[in-house]
Order: sequence, then structure tokens, then C-alpha cells
Amino acid sequence: MRRSIALLAPLLVMACGGGGGGTDRRTLVDSRDNYDPRSLDPALSTDVPTGRAVGYLFDGLTRFTPEGGVIPGLATSWETSPDGLTWTFHLRRGVAFTDGTPFVARQVLVSWQRVLDPRVRGGRGWPLYPIHGAQDYAAGKVTSIEGLSAPNDSTVVVKLKEPFAIFPKLLAMPVASIAPETVPANFGEHPVGTGPWRLVEWRHDDYLLFAPNTHYWGGPPRADSLKARIIAEPSTAVAEFESGTVDVLQIPQGEIADWEEDAERRKLLTSTPSLELVYAAINTTRGPLRDPRVRQALNYGIDRMRIDRNLIANRGTLAAGVIPPSLPGADTTRSGYQFDTTRARQLLREAGYPNGIDLEMWTSTNPLYVRIAETLQAYLRLSGIRIKIVQRESAAAREAARKGATDLFLKDWYADYPDAENFLYPLLHSANKGVGGNVSFYQNAQYDSIVTAARREQDEAKRVALYREADQIAFRDAPMIFLWFYSELYAVQPWIRGFQPPVIFNGQSWTTVTTTAASAPKRDQ
Amino acid sequence: MGAFILRRLLLAIPTLLGVLVIAFLLLYVAPGDPVMAMVGERADEQTIARLRAELRLDDPLPVQFGHYVAGIAKGDLGRSYITNRPILRDILERFPKTLQLAGAAMLFATICGVTLGVLSARSPGGLIDRFGLALAYLGISFPVYWVGLLLILLFAVTLHWLPPSGFGGFRYLILPALALGMRSVAFLARMTRSAMLDALGADYVRTARAKGLRERVVVARHALRNALIPIITVLGLDFGAYLTGSILTETIFSWPGLGRYVVNAIARRDLPAIQGSVLFLSAVFVLVNLLTDLAYAKADPRVTYA
Repeated sequence: MRRSIALLAPLLVMACGGGGGGTDRRTLVDSRDNYDPRSLDPALSTDVPTGRAVGYLFDGLTRFTPEGGVIPGLATSWETSPDGLTWTFHLRRGVAFTDGTPFVARQVLVSWQRVLDPRVRGGRGWPLYPIHGAQDYAAGKVTSIEGLSAPNDSTVVVKLKEPFAIFPKLLAMPVASIAPETVPANFGEHPVGTGPWRLVEWRHDDYLLFAPNTHYWGGPPRADSLKARIIAEPSTAVAEFESGTVDVLQIPQGEIADWEEDAERRKLLTSTPSLELVYAAINTTRGPLRDPRVRQALNYGIDRMRIDRNLIANRGTLAAGVIPPSLPGADTTRSGYQFDTTRARQLLREAGYPNGIDLEMWTSTNPLYVRIAETLQAYLRLSGIRIKIVQRESAAAREAARKGATDLFLKDWYADYPDAENFLYPLLHSANKGVGGNVSFYQNAQYDSIVTAARREQDEAKRVALYREADQIAFRDAPMIFLWFYSELYAVQPWIRGFQPPVIFNGQSWTTVTTTAASAPKRDQ
Repeated sequence: MGAFILRRLLLAIPTLLGVLVIAFLLLYVAPGDPVMAMVGERADEQTIARLRAELRLDDPLPVQFGHYVAGIAKGDLGRSYITNRPILRDILERFPKTLQLAGAAMLFATICGVTLGVLSARSPGGLIDRFGLALAYLGISFPVYWVGLLLILLFAVTLHWLPPSGFGGFRYLILPALALGMRSVAFLARMTRSAMLDALGADYVRTARAKGLRERVVVARHALRNALIPIITVLGLDFGAYLTGSILTETIFSWPGLGRYVVNAIARRDLPAIQGSVLFLSAVFVLVNLLTDLAYAKADPRVTYA
């Protein structure tokens, strides 16, 4: 797999010399999508390729920066009432959709109604549930959303059902993007948005081609076009990158060492603190796992540092809680569970299991996860915890975990928006047991009330303090085996300028990214 | 002949109906709920219940099946649960690409395999024969996946002659066709060799030689023609395997064919898309078998389907 760039260099020069002109090099080529998007309709954006493309074509009232900041999008500013319930969004004026239709407040209401409308079959209404009446509308109980109104063309007033200070962060999610008021039946394939790019063509399972929206309010993208190739096999994406046919590559987790140890390849690498928690959910309602001491024993029984080093070349930041260290609320001074088999055995004895316990650990068939599971199994055996690994295709494994049929479920959680709430609430709040994301079926009244209070707290410093407190409880109660926060590794071609790997998957819209024609290879098409 | 084709086509109906029932039932007993796959990591019971109702997943199984069959009778494979697009259109968009890849692989396999087989048979135990045998073993033992990646590394990454993956002109077709056809080259070469050896030892070949015909004519016209039946059988069987077995090749080479569509559909538990693809591929399979039978008659005048 290691064909070096050095070997390639003379060929690149030849290709350039023979190619003549640089007009074919202004296309940016992404290789990150590994399956065909579900649709290009924001209301259907439930998967990563869809969300990314929707982010190019549409705008929300807010948007993410690559670093994970939340900045104004179609709303230029907003204010909240003192009780935190009423939000007034002032909309950007003079914005038009790519078909020329002017952007007005009414479209915001209609777009969000579509997301919640069960007949649209989107399936992801929760980012809008904080709006008063949204959930009832989604359930078909009412015919309009009470909390939404547009007093004039450039103002949207949102009434929430309870104070929720981080609401603007949720509005940067692709599903909350704004579409025109009436959309044709084939909108999913012929989208019209206000975003920085417009769709040129979508070849299913092949690529999506975008051209700049020359009237984009934030200034049109600087490149001539953007091609999002759909490459199913990670090794193929690597080969494409090495041939110079794609510009940006997400390094497959199994190949990190190959890249970091190669001097030539190393120069192309860049990374970002990713908001991805890798963990094994412990079902706190099953057998011995009801006892926190047993759950702590599971955490003491593994050497995460060595697993991190040997399996993912130290790309993981060991987790001591569920809040990523880059987010406010994380307690970076807390040292996590240290590998200590004596301690693990002792905790098991105290819990009444001197002869150890037998557990099933479920995992998807992702080769890396299978290896992690096998390593955990080997470690835990040292403390008398006998693990049987159950491998299932990922949808089936997730379904079993949601039904509460798994003891341990090895998985990851990737943030939808950069806030500690996005970890504390879905993963461990009892309101989200099962399908909501809490597959630990963790229920702790104190934890619940702190997280609920944090969601309602309008003062940022106080909110962060509550986050920290909740995280401490979660850490102590150990409803999961805390593994690590994975930091994504990217390779970017030397002729690409201005690409910054995004912290949130839809946080990079390529508007300021350019290619320097002189050093890029000639490409087909 | 016409009556034979008609009879075979009529027989295909119960076959496809059987496929339909089995595919339908298997998918409903297999674990994996389409709604669960659809909503992603974070959802709520209410949304899931509404979606189940929208997709009519709560109807009794016979009712759901009735609905499905009624749609198919009208030539409608339904819409995808996930993308909302008509399934038949999705399949028809992708199938020609799979066909193109399968066709190219088969052409490659036939030309190389039959040539190698004939040459091997002409001097059994000779250099070409032994080379062919070695190649056959290699071709059968190497997994497509590995061969595919190796081809990409050599011809795209290192030599820069061909694009690593994707869909486009002839240049994009070469590597996946080689990877997909490789196995069959080996198979066909061995099959042709043994069929040719039989034929070359037959009385009519001796007669042909005794008539003073040139060796080339003897081999090509008399022996090869008679060796064709087993070769056609292998080709027919292989072609079906190409269509369904191109999944790996399409994945490695980012080829936007039906194989990847099916993989996606399975991963997302898109039941109507899976059923539609299975039904479609079964129909193609039946058709290919029929064409194979017709080709027998063309190759061997003794075979008639009156």
C-alpha cells in the first residue's frame, strides 16, 4: 500500500507538461463520501453524505465554521426574551435562491414544517422539537406549529417550550436548512437553495458536481467547481489520493501509522480535534451490570493507552467522561480510569462476583471495532471478566442495543453540534433511553436534573459548571467503558490552499479553498 | 423454436413468483428494521411509530405482500423507503453499467481463456500448457478484492496509465474488467483445454486430418466447434455470476452499478429496493439461461428445441 509520492513526482511533472493550460485544475475533488446520499432535500438529511451536500446547497439560520464555531447564516442576529422562551431572528436581506426567488421569513416556517411533517418521511425532527408545538405537529395532533411566526419578511419569531440557550447551534444542522416555499416532487434530486454552491449534476454512486452560486451572499466560492466523489472502499480512496485524482482524503483508521511514519506522506497530514467519542455502552439494567462497581471494574480492567497506541497510532485522546476536551464543560484535570487488574478484581469481589462474570460484547463488523473488541476481551479476561464477542452488521447491532438486548455495545458517537449537551443529553439522560441514544439505559435522577437544568440555563458560565458536574457523575457511575475521543486525520494535496478539516461533518463549505494550477496533475474529465 | 421460447418464458413466471415470496419472507424474518436504519443514531418513539405507519409496516404481512405483488403486476417496483425514488428507475439507471462491466469482463475472459485453452490442448504438457495451468491456479486462488487493489496500485498509482477508479470512458473500464474477468480466464482455459483434448482425439478429427486439411482448420473448425458446448455452459453460468458477483468489483473500483445499489439497500434495510433488485436480477438470470440454451442449438445442430 505504500507507493510513495516521490515515485509519483516525475510523472506528475510529465502529466502537467503534456496537459497544457491549467483550466482543468480548478475543480476541487473530495473523496470523503462513501455511499450515495439519501437525497439532496434538507428534510431528508439523516446521513453524512446527504448532510454534507445539503450544507453546500443550502443555508440555515446559523452555520458552523470549520473550527466548530456557530456564526450567523441566513439570520444576521437574534435576541431572546428575558425568560429565554421567545427568540427573535433577524433575517439577512437581499438573499435569493439560485432560481431567483427572494428569501423571506415564510420559507423558514415552511421548511421546518416539512422537516416535521410525517408524510415527508424525513425521520429527523428532533433538532426542531424545542419549538413550542413542534412535537405535536410531528405527531399529527395539530395542523400548524404554534411556536413559529413571521411578523414580517425579515423576522422569524420562535417560541420554545422551555428555555434552551444553545438552540442556535441546532439550527446549523443540515436538517434545519431553508428551502423554497413550494418544492417539486423531485426536489431531492433537483434542489434549489441559497447556499454557496449549486448542483450541476448528481451521478448516483459516482459523484456530485457543484458550481459556485455566483450570487452567494457570503461571496461566491473561489474555485470553479467542487466534485464530491463517492468512493465506497477506503483503500481505493487512498489510491485515488496517491494518484493525485482527489484533493482531500480522510485517512482510514487502520492506516494511520503508514502515513505518520512516512516522511513524504507526513507533510500532507493535518488533523482536528474531532468530536467523536468511542466507547462501549454498558447496559446498566442487565444482571451484574446494575452494580456501578462492576461497571467501574470494566473500566479499570483495560489498558486504553496501549490500545490507543497499537490500534489507532495514538489518535485517541483518552476519555475521562463523555465531554470532549475541546468543549467547555470538560474536566481536563480528571485522570481517567487507570489500568489496574487488582482493583478490577477487588471491585468485582465487593460486588459479589468473586468468580468473575460472563458478558456479551456486541460490535459492528467494522474491522477496527472488531479488533478493539478482541483487545478488550483479552484485557478483561485478566480480571475475571469473560467476554463473548457478538459481531453483527451495524444496523442489526444498533437495533439490538436499542432494544436493550446487549450487555456491552462497542460504538462511537459523533457530535451533530459542538456542545457538551450533545453528549450528556442523548447518551445518558433517561429521557433518551433506547432509540434516543442512551443505549446504556442509564437512569440517575440527580444526573437527569442537572442536565435538564443545564439545558435551561441561560448563563453560559453556570451552564458549563452544570455540564462539568453532570460529567463527573457520569464518570463515577460508569455507564460505559470510556475509551477515547478520536481525532480525525486528513491528507490534503500540496496544491490545495485553505482547506481546514471541519470539527463538525458539515462545517467545511470549501468557499475559500483554492487549487494552485501549477502543481496539480492533469485529470480526466 | 418459437414454442420453446414461449414455454420457457411461461415457466419463468412461477420461478420469479417463488423468488418473490422467498425474498419477501426472508427480509421480514431477517433482523433489521428499515425505520431504525432510516432515523439514524438519535430518534424518538413517536417519530418511529409515525414512520412505520407511513410506510405501512404495521399492516399484517399478507396485506403487505398483497400490496407489493399488486404493484409488481402493474410493472411498479415501488419507491425506496429511504430515498423516495422509484426503484425501477434506479435499477434501470445502474443496470447498464453493471452489464457493461460484466460484458467487458466476459469478453476479456473468453478471448484469453479460450485462446489459452486451445493452445494448451495443442501441445499438452508443453510450455504453454504448464504456464496456463499455473495461471489457472493463481486466477482461481486470488481473491477479486486483492487483485483489484493490486491492479489499482500498479496501473494507476505507480505507472499512472489508468485512472484508479470511477466511471467514464474505456480507460475506466479496463481495470475492473480485468479484475472481474480474471477468475473466468482460468476457469475457461481449463475447460477449453479438456474439451479440446477430447475433441482432438475424436474420430472426426482424424478424418479431417486424413482429408489433408491444414492443422489450423482442423483445430478451429472441427475441434473447437465441437468443444463449444461445455464452454458456452460455463460462460452462461459465469455471466449470471458476473451480474451478481460484481458487487465487490464495483465497490473497489467505485463503479456505479447495480451491485453497489444492492449493498446500499441492504445496509439501509431498504426492503422494497432489495426485493426489487433481487427480482430484477432473477429475471435477468432466467433470461441468460434461456439464451444459453438457444446458443447450444446454434453451436451444435444436433440440439433442437422443436
